[in-house]
Amino acid sequence: MNPMIRKELRQRMRERRGWLLPSLYLFVLGAVVTFAYYIATTNNGRSPIQGSSVGVILFLTLAYTQLALLLLLAPIFSAGSITIEKEQRTLAGLLTSLLSSTQIWWGKFASSLMFVLLLLVTSLPVLSMAFAFGGVGPWEVFSATLTTVIILASMSAIGLYFSSAFQRSVHATAVSYATVVAISVVTAIVFFVRIAMYESAHRATATHGWSDLPLSVTAPMYVNPFFFLTTSFAPPRQLYPAWTTCACVFIALGGLAAGLTLRNLRRRGDL
Amino acid sequence: MIDVEQIRKSFNGTRALDDFTLHVGAGELFGLVGPNGAGKTTLMKVLSTLLPIDSGTAQIGGLNVAKQAREVKRLIGYLPDQPGVYQDMSVREFLEFFADAFQLTGARQRAAVGRALERSGLAGRSRDSVEQLSFGMKQRLVLAKTLLHDPKVLLLDEPATGLDPIARIELREQLKQLQAEGITILISSHILSDLEDICTQIALIGAGHNAEDDEGHSVIQLRAPQAPVRIYEIELLGDNAIAVNIVKSVAGTRLLEYGAGRLVVEITGADEQVAALLRSLVVAGVNVFRFDRRALGLEERYQLVFREKRP
Repeated sequence: MNPMIRKELRQRMRERRGWLLPSLYLFVLGAVVTFAYYIATTNNGRSPIQGSSVGVILFLTLAYTQLALLLLLAPIFSAGSITIEKEQRTLAGLLTSLLSSTQIWWGKFASSLMFVLLLLVTSLPVLSMAFAFGGVGPWEVFSATLTTVIILASMSAIGLYFSSAFQRSVHATAVSYATVVAISVVTAIVFFVRIAMYESAHRATATHGWSDLPLSVTAPMYVNPFFFLTTSFAPPRQLYPAWTTCACVFIALGGLAAGLTLRNLRRRGDL
Repeated sequence: MIDVEQIRKSFNGTRALDDFTLHVGAGELFGLVGPNGAGKTTLMKVLSTLLPIDSGTAQIGGLNVAKQAREVKRLIGYLPDQPGVYQDMSVREFLEFFADAFQLTGARQRAAVGRALERSGLAGRSRDSVEQLSFGMKQRLVLAKTLLHDPKVLLLDEPATGLDPIARIELREQLKQLQAEGITILISSHILSDLEDICTQIALIGAGHNAEDDEGHSVIQLRAPQAPVRIYEIELLGDNAIAVNIVKSVAGTRLLEYGAGRLVVEITGADEQVAALLRSLVVAGVNVFRFDRRALGLEERYQLVFREKRP
């Protein structure tokens, strides 16, 4: 086993946040799902909805809430990962050992991602509530989970890049959060502005859906994690092009961030 | 052992090292002196593979620091000017992690960690958190960590900074001991009295290049490098009279004890000196069946220290 992974996991599990964050995460997730259940099943004078619909509502609520929470938590684990070595002046010791830059990066990346995945796994009991109502199959659970993992892996790699680029954890974490906001919120705003402009310019032409929109309008959404998650709910044969494109974009972003992080680690001049 | 030839290193147009040259022989305890910003830390980082150079060559043990970084890392132990520790680990965990990082596993790791604990004087505190150690103890722990993989060359950047007088004396003694074990040491320090006490030579560095004193020397010779002294036990078949004569005739060799089929010999010098004695014995027809290095015992140590002082 890579010594870095063992060291990182040992240190992370000893921190207070090692148990505090999962507890808080489950508490928030449980509260949101309970609230969604209450809203879905309250009869406001309309006919009560079917059990399977409740299951779908709970599942979608859970999937989006989970993604939002994990996007908020991922930078905490990754963005401080290399800067902490700079702050406590241990990076030189690592770089002059026989550990390669790739091993150091992989140790940091795997341990950051593993902790976020631990949170994902701990939410399975909450997810089982949606199963109890029906309407959700194994495919939806699998594709949503896979998509969430790709997004989190990519965000962890980006967080690690900022961690290698900055000297202080606080700066790396702030820029990581700015990136999360940029890809989640700013891309959506840009998309809605672009689509409004497009529709006003093409009033005469009827648009039938996503595939009718030009790439110049839809492009920002391919880096939006919530859109990526939405595309994962499509049946397997309809994953192309939206889900596949999003997956390629996120994997490419993660790969680029990993490459830049390795370059920063090999430069070493800012120790 | 360390050969630096006209190296240059710039940061944003400012030259930190400017045609700097340095040669450190094997087994030397070599000091590096210069004012703040002279380029000492940059040189240490270059030699420890942390910084690439712009031009020139830097070699350790004949290996190019830039092109053979991994092999160089096996040879060197680097102690930065402000070494860090993992406060939330125990002393043993800290050493085990770095032993892992130097690919020491199983029995080799246990032996290396045990040796490091003994060397740092922290054997009784191996379960304590690093956070609980004093600054001096942490410095000893980091030096012990630096020695885990038995490096042939030690690069120490201001190792005495922040240490109290007792800890500085202990560090000096430890460095002398390491030099006696044959380790080449390059040390930078502002505490000139420490360097004067322990170093064989001192190089002067100023504004990134070799500085010279009023006599034009860029390297000050303080004392001849101490050749390593080692004790060997030789066991042989038959009469040892020929072997005794050979030992007495080989330069740099001294007979400490001899008895039936057994000799104890002190050899002063490099490995070639040891090889020369063994070759002489074999060529003379002595049936050597054991030729082993022995750790210095208290008696030999006593002899080595006081032999020259006897009236």
